[in-house]
Amino acid sequence: MATHAPAPAHAPGGGHGGHTHHEDPRPVSYWWIRAAYGTVAGVLFAFLLTFLLRALFGFEPLWDGGVYGGVAGLIGAIGFLWGIGCFDYWLGWAKGADISEEDHSFHGVSNWKQYFRVNTDHKVIGIQYLGMTLFFMLWGGLMALLIRTELAAPGQQIADGQTYNGFLSMHATLMIFVFAVPVFGGIANYVLPIMLGAKDMAFPRLNALSFWFLPVAGFMFLASMFTGMFGAAWTAYPPLASQGTMGQTLFELGVQFAGASSIATAINFLATIITMRAPGMTIWRMPILAWATGVTSVLAVFATPFIAGSQFLTMFDRIMGTNFFVPDQGGDVIMYQHIFWFYSHPAVYIMLLPGFGIISEVIATFARKPLFGYRAMAFSMVAIAVLGFGVWAHHMFVSGMAAWLRVPMMITTIIIAVPTGVKMWSWLATLWQGRIHIKTPMLWALGFLFTFLMGGLSGVFLGIVPADIQMSDTYFVTAHLHYVLYGGSVYTIFAGLYYWFPKMTGKMYNEKLGQWHFWLTFIGTQLTFFPMHWQGLQGMPRRVADYDPRFETVNSIETVGSYMLGIATIIFFYNIVTSWKSGPKAPWNPWRGKTLEWMVSSPPPLFNFDAVPQVVGGPYQYGIPDARHAVVFAPEEFGGELKEDTRYPVMVVANETLTSQTLIDEIRSRNADGLWSFQFIVPVGDGDRAISERRLATTLAILAEAGVSATGRVADGDVVAVATEAAKEIQPHELVIATLPLAVSQWMRSDSVDKVRKATGVALSHVVVPANDARALTGTSALPLVMVVATEAVGAEALATAVRTRADAEPARFTVVAPLDLPEPRWGAEANERRRAAGEAMTATINALVNTGVAVDGEVMDDAPSVALPLAIDAYTPSVIIIAGINGEAAALADAAHAAAGDTPVETVNLGAAAGA
Amino acid sequence: MATTAGHAPVEQHSGPEQKPHMNASLMAMLLFIGSEIMLFASLFTAYFFIRYGVANETWPPLKQDGEPFELPVILTGVNTLILISSSFTLWWGEKRLAAGDNKGLIRGLWVTILMGGTFLLIQLNEYAHLGFTPQDRAFSGAFYTLTGFHGAHVLVGLIVLSLCLRRAYKNDFSHAYHTPLTAGSYYWHFVDIVWVLLFFLVYVI
Repeated sequence: MATHAPAPAHAPGGGHGGHTHHEDPRPVSYWWIRAAYGTVAGVLFAFLLTFLLRALFGFEPLWDGGVYGGVAGLIGAIGFLWGIGCFDYWLGWAKGADISEEDHSFHGVSNWKQYFRVNTDHKVIGIQYLGMTLFFMLWGGLMALLIRTELAAPGQQIADGQTYNGFLSMHATLMIFVFAVPVFGGIANYVLPIMLGAKDMAFPRLNALSFWFLPVAGFMFLASMFTGMFGAAWTAYPPLASQGTMGQTLFELGVQFAGASSIATAINFLATIITMRAPGMTIWRMPILAWATGVTSVLAVFATPFIAGSQFLTMFDRIMGTNFFVPDQGGDVIMYQHIFWFYSHPAVYIMLLPGFGIISEVIATFARKPLFGYRAMAFSMVAIAVLGFGVWAHHMFVSGMAAWLRVPMMITTIIIAVPTGVKMWSWLATLWQGRIHIKTPMLWALGFLFTFLMGGLSGVFLGIVPADIQMSDTYFVTAHLHYVLYGGSVYTIFAGLYYWFPKMTGKMYNEKLGQWHFWLTFIGTQLTFFPMHWQGLQGMPRRVADYDPRFETVNSIETVGSYMLGIATIIFFYNIVTSWKSGPKAPWNPWRGKTLEWMVSSPPPLFNFDAVPQVVGGPYQYGIPDARHAVVFAPEEFGGELKEDTRYPVMVVANETLTSQTLIDEIRSRNADGLWSFQFIVPVGDGDRAISERRLATTLAILAEAGVSATGRVADGDVVAVATEAAKEIQPHELVIATLPLAVSQWMRSDSVDKVRKATGVALSHVVVPANDARALTGTSALPLVMVVATEAVGAEALATAVRTRADAEPARFTVVAPLDLPEPRWGAEANERRRAAGEAMTATINALVNTGVAVDGEVMDDAPSVALPLAIDAYTPSVIIIAGINGEAAALADAAHAAAGDTPVETVNLGAAAGA
Repeated sequence: MATTAGHAPVEQHSGPEQKPHMNASLMAMLLFIGSEIMLFASLFTAYFFIRYGVANETWPPLKQDGEPFELPVILTGVNTLILISSSFTLWWGEKRLAAGDNKGLIRGLWVTILMGGTFLLIQLNEYAHLGFTPQDRAFSGAFYTLTGFHGAHVLVGLIVLSLCLRRAYKNDFSHAYHTPLTAGSYYWHFVDIVWVLLFFLVYVI
């Protein structure tokens, strides 16, 4: 498996911008053995402590499994965290040991095993987060499949009621606390510091601790399978949660660890966003993902303590015998629901807002348009977060809470649809008239728009008090929340994973498998969850293991849908594992994104940037050819800013498509990164070398005009051989191959692109140029336009030769104008015949020229030269006019041209007499 | 807006320096305190729900043995004054450090830590003589949870200040560098302010 090789971006073997790197020598096994000792010691200490305290204060009986288990879980977990090494640095500081803030021995990995120890590198932690959370997603998904299997038919299939409660509680708990909430922390951990131009997070060691809280939480949940699964659902309402087994205590402890992880990460993100932005990165130049992560972090910091409080109280009731939720002792069960939902409603936005950020990145990149309403996007997220604190009781309309609270909560709930709508319309407006590229991340983004919209609409239903009273605790709620969380979390997570997979691993994923994954998931989602709306309205209650036989058909359809989701997940894991191991190498910037993470290598170097980058513009300036988001500097030994000669070579292989607008735009957009120099290699194949020379000259001239540093040469031989040979010599960072579409491309038909990819081992981008573009006159070219005026000569080989000679002398584009002095009436048969003949002749000339690499178009005009030429000159504003005549007509044409030309120079070429068509 | 800024001028120097916008550590401490405030807010919420629930009967509520809960307001009031004063002694220590007087800082920290310790001991003594346990009615659970959580925070604050004291003995703090000390003192002030609120809301009214 590929690892984050600590390779610097700019100089193999060079320095790391002031950081020295020595890896900690202790092997991974050392830490795990220590962790095992720590855990056992913690558990034993907890037993001893509990025993002594119970004996001291005279508790009866001395042994109570739930109490001992709870304390042992807590202290054992702390022992584990100590053993694995999370506290070493701080304990060293407290002891006054000799420690250095510049100690980077726990930074970066050199082989895959290193992912299993404490690491302070945000990129490694990001991968650890993603691996861990996806592992828990698998377990949660397995639980979902068990639920659906049980529900495939009425009556009992595989589990009794209590076990079923365990399945659904475990499913929701794993999916929410250790998948959907932290997985965004993983993605943001990886990309956010790079996006901001920082070398790491603000507190790398705290970051490591945040991560290691997660396995503690997740495995506590999973461990409850051996102690009797908790069955009070993820909401864990008392008095249900006050009963139950040891598993319920483990749930309460696990939530504390997941919450602590969430708070610590959130503080870290906020500190990073506020204090670690690169110079020039004003808050209005931050990518939307940074906004989303910041807003989410505020929610996490201020809301998560409420679930901590609620779980403390239920745990005290369970293991200390307090009476918070015992009504005849003055307790209040509604109080739990208020405290719980004061966190758990904002938690919904903790699971959605980062996804909104990811989708904004993906949609802008794949629609090739600036994000519509950047500031509105940012402010709407702030509005959602603020309103999110004022809607918690809409989960409690039927709970028996104070009745006056219902209507205010309904109003705030419905108002949240407004900022959410702002975001929805902004995404749609970004797509509007964009150049949409349907790659896997974009598919997920579009799937998100549809699925999340459905969830949002059913959410408005549920926000309305009378409707909610009818639909509470039915499958309508299940449908709603799965549409929201599948759309808003799962789809956005997959969009983000596919989008940044090349950046994280340095490998490309398999596009075809990615699309299969999407379509199976999309269809599976609709199949599984859409019928639940109907079921719920018909009154089928949620969280019950059995149901009325009239719901059998829809339930079995939903079970089939859920199995599709399972198969899709297998495809996903197969894809990422095989692609990471042996996928094709990814270029720095496979999607032509504008944000900073795309301006470093894939995977990024150990400290992300060798020198702090300078941000100079907004992050979404797609379609603006030379717009720059940031300037990335070379390390000091290279003289700071990247100069022409320190630019990294990109090798461009093209022939037929060389002069196309598509390829030239592609090169210009890459050039805006300020990192590259371009080397064109033009394999002649079995074509004419002169033609390739002509195309190359034209392209280089156009690029030079646009300020792009590019060189190139024409090479005889087959594309694979030429490209392989040239790649050895140039050592490019990336190969760009431009071809025609599959149906008409000789290179594609002989599979040359894949052959080059394999033969060179270099990251390769394939640019497909539409056939008409490859032949068209390059539109935005700054090359001089030469207008060729001819009448009788059109269609003659001599004219084509003359134009070719001219093109070889100096790169230019040409337009051939043929004014026809038609006989009256102009609609008569004779005039039509002459028009037709002239058109054919013009087509022949243009084809002859285009096929030999000259950029040309032409026009047959319906008027005599004296009338037509002024119009043509006015329309084309040529820089030179050439009069090409045969049989002595040149003189007449020249007179007309001189009269109309004004300052434009007019040259005359006499093609002689005998050159007839 | 994203479309307008095309070519902002790049200053010509060899790589810009990254200037910290503000002290990240202190900001993190403030955010953490914000989080802690919310934790206490959730516990106060529980307390008020329980209080509202029983207030319809009698206030103060009755214990399981039928006697009303009684809290030692005078003693705890004195204890409150001790804790509040410890905030000022800590502040005085920091002032001394700003004036370049490390000895003064050490004195300030010692007095603060001793006062905090005294507060904890008086609280424990109070627990021993209250005459009810957390397992009594819901009110007692809320009382012990609130004061217990606060006590744990005082303990953490004392550990943080002790570490600072150790550093102060090693002359690690100066007029220019005192981030851990400042962070610790933020935390200590927070612990004090929460106590004032707690005293007022649970003991007095």
